[in-house]
Amino acid sequence: MDPRREHELLLTRRQLFGRTALGVGTAALHTLLRGAGIGGGLMAADQIFAAMGGQTGPRGKAKPGLPGIPHFAPKAKRVIYLFMNGGPSQIDLWDYKPKLDEKFDSDLPEEIRRGQRLTTMTSGQTRFPIAPSRYKFQRHDNNADGVWVSELLPHTATVVKELCVIRSMWTDAINHDPAVTFIQTGSQLPGRPSMGAWVSYGLGSENEDLPTYVVLHAKVSSGKVDQALYNRLWGTGFLPSEYQGVSLRSAGDPVLYLNDPHGMDRGTRREMLDDVARLNQKQLDHFGDPEIAARIAQYEMAYRLQTSVPELMDLSKESEDTIALYGDDAKTPGTFAANCLLARRLAERGVRFIQIWHRGWDQHGNLTGDLPMQCKDVDQACAGLIKDLKNRGLLDDTLVVWGGEFGRTVYCQGALTRENYGRDHHPRCYTMWMAGGGVKPGITYGHTDDFCYNIVDKDGAIINPTEDELTPGAVHIHDLNATILNQLGIDHTKLTYRYQGRDFRITDVHGHVVRDLLA
Amino acid sequence: MKRGTWIGGACAAFALAGALAGASLSLSQKSKPKPPPSKPLPTVDFNRDVKPILSETCFKCHGPDAATVMAGLRLDSFAGATAKREGGPAIVPGNPDASKVWMRISAKEDGMRMPPVHSDVKPLTDAQKQTIRAWIAQGAQYTQHWAFRPPTKAPLPIVRDAAWVRNDVDRFVLARLEAANLRPEPEADRRTLIRRVALTLTGLPPTPEEIRAYLEDRSPKAYEAMVDRYLASPRYGEHQARYWLDAVRYGDTHGLHLDNERSIYPYRDWVVRAFNEDLPFDRFTLWQLAGDLLPKPTTEQRIATGYVRMNPTTSEGGAIEAEFQAKNTFDRVDTTSTVFLGLTVGCAKCHDHKYDPISQKDYYSLYAFFNSTADAPLDGNALLPGPVAKAPTPEQAEEMDRLQGEVAAIEQGVDSGTAERWLLAQKPVPVELGKWEVAGPYEAKTFDEAFAQDFGPDPGGPEVKIDRRPFELRTGVVVGNVVGKENAAAYLFGSVHASAPRKLDVGLGSDDGIRVWVNGKLVHDQKVLRAPAVDQDRLAIDLNAGNNDLLIKIVNSGGGDGVALTVGDPTSRRMADVAFALSFPSLRERNLPDLRRLYLESGPETPVAVRYRVLRTKIRDLDAMIPQTLVAEEAPSPRPAFVLKRGQYDMPAQRVSRAVPAALGSLSPYEPKNRLGLAQWMIRPNNPLVARVFVNRIWQQHFGTGLVKTAEDFGNQGEWPSHPELLDTLAVRFVEDGWSVKDLHRLLLGSAAFRQAATVSKAKHTKDPENRLVSRGPRFRLDAEVLRDQALFVSGLLVEKPGGKGFRPYQPSGLWEAVAFADSNTARYVQDKGADIYRRSLYLFWKRTSPHPTMLTFDAPMREACSVRRGRTNTPLQALVTLNEPAYFEAARTLAERAIRSAPGDDARLSWVFERTSGRLPTLEEKALLTRALVRYRARFAEAPERAEGVLSVGDSPRDATLPAVEHAAWTLVCSTLMNTDEFLTQH
Repeated sequence: MDPRREHELLLTRRQLFGRTALGVGTAALHTLLRGAGIGGGLMAADQIFAAMGGQTGPRGKAKPGLPGIPHFAPKAKRVIYLFMNGGPSQIDLWDYKPKLDEKFDSDLPEEIRRGQRLTTMTSGQTRFPIAPSRYKFQRHDNNADGVWVSELLPHTATVVKELCVIRSMWTDAINHDPAVTFIQTGSQLPGRPSMGAWVSYGLGSENEDLPTYVVLHAKVSSGKVDQALYNRLWGTGFLPSEYQGVSLRSAGDPVLYLNDPHGMDRGTRREMLDDVARLNQKQLDHFGDPEIAARIAQYEMAYRLQTSVPELMDLSKESEDTIALYGDDAKTPGTFAANCLLARRLAERGVRFIQIWHRGWDQHGNLTGDLPMQCKDVDQACAGLIKDLKNRGLLDDTLVVWGGEFGRTVYCQGALTRENYGRDHHPRCYTMWMAGGGVKPGITYGHTDDFCYNIVDKDGAIINPTEDELTPGAVHIHDLNATILNQLGIDHTKLTYRYQGRDFRITDVHGHVVRDLLA
Repeated sequence: MKRGTWIGGACAAFALAGALAGASLSLSQKSKPKPPPSKPLPTVDFNRDVKPILSETCFKCHGPDAATVMAGLRLDSFAGATAKREGGPAIVPGNPDASKVWMRISAKEDGMRMPPVHSDVKPLTDAQKQTIRAWIAQGAQYTQHWAFRPPTKAPLPIVRDAAWVRNDVDRFVLARLEAANLRPEPEADRRTLIRRVALTLTGLPPTPEEIRAYLEDRSPKAYEAMVDRYLASPRYGEHQARYWLDAVRYGDTHGLHLDNERSIYPYRDWVVRAFNEDLPFDRFTLWQLAGDLLPKPTTEQRIATGYVRMNPTTSEGGAIEAEFQAKNTFDRVDTTSTVFLGLTVGCAKCHDHKYDPISQKDYYSLYAFFNSTADAPLDGNALLPGPVAKAPTPEQAEEMDRLQGEVAAIEQGVDSGTAERWLLAQKPVPVELGKWEVAGPYEAKTFDEAFAQDFGPDPGGPEVKIDRRPFELRTGVVVGNVVGKENAAAYLFGSVHASAPRKLDVGLGSDDGIRVWVNGKLVHDQKVLRAPAVDQDRLAIDLNAGNNDLLIKIVNSGGGDGVALTVGDPTSRRMADVAFALSFPSLRERNLPDLRRLYLESGPETPVAVRYRVLRTKIRDLDAMIPQTLVAEEAPSPRPAFVLKRGQYDMPAQRVSRAVPAALGSLSPYEPKNRLGLAQWMIRPNNPLVARVFVNRIWQQHFGTGLVKTAEDFGNQGEWPSHPELLDTLAVRFVEDGWSVKDLHRLLLGSAAFRQAATVSKAKHTKDPENRLVSRGPRFRLDAEVLRDQALFVSGLLVEKPGGKGFRPYQPSGLWEAVAFADSNTARYVQDKGADIYRRSLYLFWKRTSPHPTMLTFDAPMREACSVRRGRTNTPLQALVTLNEPAYFEAARTLAERAIRSAPGDDARLSWVFERTSGRLPTLEEKALLTRALVRYRARFAEAPERAEGVLSVGDSPRDATLPAVEHAAWTLVCSTLMNTDEFLTQH
């Protein structure tokens, strides 16, 4: 049995068969249920909760994580992960390369490419002509040497003092499916748990009235959804399914099957659940199986979810000032902006892992047509989220992560003009940023060469990073994941799950915490 | 932690287990020196007690992985542990105090103590240290890992309460219970038993009629007869197949990236049939792994090889073939190891296995069995990426036989002489093609430009000097490399002679774009990107008498290019070919059948010929309806296999040949070195793993937990079996009984162990919390599919239509759209209409990147990776499904309707509904509770009738409008209440 589950059942068992005077035995639980008359159900539910060892209150009780976790004092209690699916172009957004301008349409030098593998979309090209970014960059003060930000991200540029911009991310995979599966699960092949599932499993929940791991899908204004997502990206692999990401939807039931059938009012639902609980109690008396007690509790939690989710989704009490931070889009359900606002509300309510998926970042062609729209979708909301979290004192213990599965090539895919071009996948260097949650605010980390093709040291010498050890100046996917877990108080080498005779972890046998990124 | 207690109680509780290792113990006791002063020596079994500790704590650095061995010390073998070393051997058998191992694990100083303080390995407990000490004292015997030794039948244990025993299973179970001072639970009542058996075997509950028949059968073999009835039900195969489909990760889509549909459901239907027909498990195994390599494989044997093709595949733009060739093969190796061998070999992809004796070379030797299949590494996002096979249903096969028989008879009846006279009278006149020349390539910046631009040869343009070279253009085949450059064009110049003006049928194929001019007039203009094939485009061109100029422009975008030209319509071409062949005596006989067919198809319209043509059309139509399915075939020549450094496809090291892992044996000279040989090795009676692993999974199905709890891992890190001798005895018997799965079910279900009540006292629960000792009957939450099917079944909604394409039931909108690539053919979910949505969950259309949410919520795997053991969680989202999901709520509404119609009066109706949902009758108390609820709901709905209408509006199936809405709605809630009780959701 999954050790966490074993632990919970043990707790339940102890409460049911408790020998201490304080323990609530079956008989007592029985009495509680029987005492609950029509309309008094909610009280009965609270009492059951109390009996099961939880506290009740406006936020719902916390669900403990694995014994021994956190391994050390956490800097962040939760994560908001803004995933830009498809591979945003670091060259056009974050990694300023002024020297490229004069190299327009010249060939990528072989000493830069160094025979690295390419996708078969461009490996057949006879030329690899340089495509400089057509966007203007501006230097913005941060807490170090400043950071150059593209004109496509004017709002994000206003919060760079909070950002830790990593320009030297690198990954193993070169195609979308393996790459996004890799960054989310630590393996290019399907079957492993996602980061959010690991965190839920390890840390438990701060609020059982809401899912521990929430997934939000953002609309893409361009309507281009030419890259796919997969349920496995927020799935649990071999971990028990209760740790899977729960999608909060902007249309239909916000949580699947949350709404009762038309015609069933809350009172009726309450009565019905009380009857179910009473019938289950009889079964518990008969069989003595603590799973039945657990089921009674789960039905109560479902009832609470039915209350807490609509309250969560209701943005009507958000002030105009707050909405203004995120932009007018925040008023339209399902936009990235609205989801960012929801993410803040989820963070406030103790949800452990919140992930927003924004698609459409795969600019093989027509980059200058599409990328501005992509940026417009997310720019203000990203900045708004940081500001809003900061204003409410939540940024300190909320880690915000922004980025995609890989970067894009400096050379052009397809037709190249000064005005427009396309870029292929580039795994050897790309940019992500983090904020809050104990990372160093207002810094940049890592360098790339003048072609934004290789990671280099501060003197410009090419680094050949390896995942076997920490390579200063380079951040591998496993390193990023190790660092995120570290901020949550988790030693990534110790958050393991025994499956198929092996202790699996999200960083496989790799990963190093990048201490240079930490405050 | 748990293992410490195993030792403490070893003498009493595990005397049996000890007996198995008796030989080594008595041997070691001879040389045993004085025991440590303070503690009595427990009896230590290396496999059970010591190896788990070594594996967990030591093997990472002192184990089988040659690359990471620290200090040159290996503790995974007697030789390694006792080898001479500076400062003395790690282990001195019989003398712990002289053994370095003991010194290091018992050291007080942090710097000395093993495992190292700063490693990520847990420190040893005192109990673990004492176990190792005792083991060394007893001679430090290493015995082969239990699961790698062929199983043997154990002697039946002696038990005190022999009267409880129904069959041999019970002796093993009872012996352990008695050793633990536990008594089994009494037999469950008949209503509980029939529900348990029906759900276990068929995944559906018993009907009240079935319950009645069983209750009334007073014969001593009533239970066995009831088991046999369910084993004979076609529902049995549907339910058993489901477990298998998890293991082989069955899905109706490719699983990666675009996640387009793939057609492999005939495999799923074959699995159902195989279980229903009780195809022996050895053949079941053989066919799936290597059916294609059997002599003259049958359709079924070929369909079964869909197993090999089941891995998720991709055709993502930019994907590198060699990379996915490796990844696909990894997946096949890993899945095969888990499914059949209960071993995780995946670790050995990058390095020698840390815990099990599987070297990296072993891994790639297994890999070599699977890397030479004929399928392309990238699936082309196609429905049927080859190789594929026709998979007719039995009815279709029969119909096809009948039609083809009649066709053959008609063909036989044709007189060849008549046919030949007819053919010669047709005087097919071949047209004459002149010599061909080529010009080009002409390069442009883009494909579009290359296609549009007149490089000179285009008719009507300015005169340009064109450099022409002779060109060999054979008709009827693809001629490659005409252009030879990307974004470039080439021109082919030719002529055709006709004796009089006429139309001529021409077939064209090209890679990529093609334009054709006849006598200067553009007659064909096809701007496409494609691979070339014969007759991709067909057209008729007008020829003048005499010579006609032909000009063909081929435009290539990149990669290879080519052209294919055929002249004449296919029938005339065939007539010409046959006539030509008949003129050679040596070819004559062979071509007569074709002559007769040609005569029937194109000759005079006699009644026989008309009938023949009708039959041929029928055959063509039927053929088009026969499903096709992905199958495995070997490539004409094997691909070489190499050890891949760090598991990287582009880092091949030493070359390896096909072999099974050395620690598990080897192929005999009589076993071919291919998948067939591998399969034959697996089903040898002395294969240590295959029968054990499968028998264990069946036990897991019936009892909730396997005898080996880690059903996916029988290796060193797997759990020690709760009843090792029982597992071995079952495995041996399974093979002796001809691998009959149904017999295995009979044996397990016939045991007193299975027939116990599932009740448990507090005291027993403390002693046996997870029921690993089988101290009571099985009790666990039903699986996702069973829950849905049961709800539909009790309400009468279930539609039992076997096989065929997956169906699409209710699903909240937007789920596929939220994840899918816009161009995927599974990007939009369109629910089926009518009866199909009520089919059994086995037949759900399984989109691997977004399976049906009710399945995932109840722990079904995604089917992207092998899964042989599902979790069983208990979550609020599950409650929301059974409360509100439309199919569940519709089932409650329909059940209510049936209840109202079936019985008069509340009392009888409540009993009726209760029996349908739980298999038993309600107690007075339960009845009173439900009656009060009913009265309450009636009152509520009477106050607000529109609410009743709302409740009754869920689901597509029509409602009986003659029933009063208030009454119907009230009963719907009562039914939904019962369908949400733990009792309904649980097997017990």
